[in-house]
Amino acid sequence: MIRVGDVLVSKGEGGVYGERMLDGYRVWDPYRSKLAALYLLGTGIGLTPDMKVLYLGAANGTTVSHVADYVEVVYAVEFAPRPMQDLLEVARRRGNIMPILADASCPEQYAPLVETVDLIYQDVAQPDQAAIALRNCVFLKDGGNLILMLKTRSVDIRKQPEEVFRDTLDILMSAGLIITESTWLAPYHQDHAAIVCTR
Amino acid sequence: MQSFWFGNISEGRCTPFTGDAATCARRVREIRTSMDVFIPPDWQQAVACGVCHDRAEYLFLLQKVCIAGSEQAVREQYAAKDVELLQMVRTLDEMDTIINVLSERVADWYQIRHPSFSLKYRRTPAHVLVKSISERNREHGGGGGALGKVATEITSLSDTRTSLARVVSGRACEVMPNTSALIGGLVAARLLSHAGGLKELSRLPASAIQVLGARTALFAHIRTHAPSPKHGIIFQHRRVHNASRDVRGKVARVLAGKLAIAARLDFYRGCAVPAFLEDAQARIDRAGTVPGEGQP
Repeated sequence: MIRVGDVLVSKGEGGVYGERMLDGYRVWDPYRSKLAALYLLGTGIGLTPDMKVLYLGAANGTTVSHVADYVEVVYAVEFAPRPMQDLLEVARRRGNIMPILADASCPEQYAPLVETVDLIYQDVAQPDQAAIALRNCVFLKDGGNLILMLKTRSVDIRKQPEEVFRDTLDILMSAGLIITESTWLAPYHQDHAAIVCTR
Repeated sequence: MQSFWFGNISEGRCTPFTGDAATCARRVREIRTSMDVFIPPDWQQAVACGVCHDRAEYLFLLQKVCIAGSEQAVREQYAAKDVELLQMVRTLDEMDTIINVLSERVADWYQIRHPSFSLKYRRTPAHVLVKSISERNREHGGGGGALGKVATEITSLSDTRTSLARVVSGRACEVMPNTSALIGGLVAARLLSHAGGLKELSRLPASAIQVLGARTALFAHIRTHAPSPKHGIIFQHRRVHNASRDVRGKVARVLAGKLAIAARLDFYRGCAVPAFLEDAQARIDRAGTVPGEGQP
């Protein structure tokens, strides 16, 4: 990952969402992007130029644009039409983003489009986040990685975030994934945890 | 056989698809993939198929298909009749808020200009005062200064609001004929806006429709032991707010029950059902007249 001093950056055409530029690099703000927060707080999975990424919950394409700066191709799945309009605009300017309007919990909707990937990155606000991740593992190569951004408040607002976190880890492990790293994203994001697994 | 965006592969033989990105995207959305035996597509299969020559071309073509497919899907979702109505009614409600806030402010301002003036004991609400200020401004040929100009703007904004309300009400009658017939176009549109769409509204239980828009009161009731809300948005309908206090809750409940049915008729049939409407109107009227009667 590229850093200028302590600041995480990516290399690409700027002006996607008004991000700051530093020495010609795009600043990747950890307060806006959970993935950037993970790289600053933990190790995460280093993005390399030959990587293929399946990105679930692409939203407006803010984080997607940074990921696309690093890797070969990003399959960006988003469910809502309003943010998809923004994502399409980002994709038109970057040849390696494949925007897909589909429900991440129904992989069959985009199965004909997505090849085997090295990394699945998931950031969806759904109650069954672990199940969605497991259902998408058909796209993940053996030895590939999964980064799950767990929004504990979306799983169950009445449960303690720590409890949701433990339950999710149990589900992932019992499905045969190996947890390599798990960290809370405070102070950048409240009640959000990052879980990194290997298949 | 496996179907991918570039073609069908069966027993090692590949049949490529022809046509432009839009046609291809439309086809991809019709493919039904079984996930039990699914193997993701490989770009080399596409090369073998003769669709492209190398990896770069594969990604180039794929992106065209993806963009075309997403554009189609977005356009389809926006073409649903209720999507624009949702924005219209939210704009209307926000205009209301803005007009009220500005009118109050202008009334305060006017009092500073005229120290002996007070709204007390006058039956003039702030917006009527604003209207008279703007009229005076016009009579003086725009000589009313900044205050006059602001008042004129507010007046023209509320004219726009009135015409928008008419459009909303008309559109609501088209999109949800049954619900609008029971409760009026404007209130029906507000219900739609709170539910988030016609599909969502049609899937709400009657008890939820009854308290839609009374969120604070509902959660106060659940958390503490505050009395339960009897009505949310549907209070705006005359049959609820004109009913006497002791039957108001009942009218709201019966009305909400019929609205739930009406919303389902609107979503699944999309046309007015006179037999239902007649029966429902009679039932709601009965609930409002004689206490104790009208139990199902």
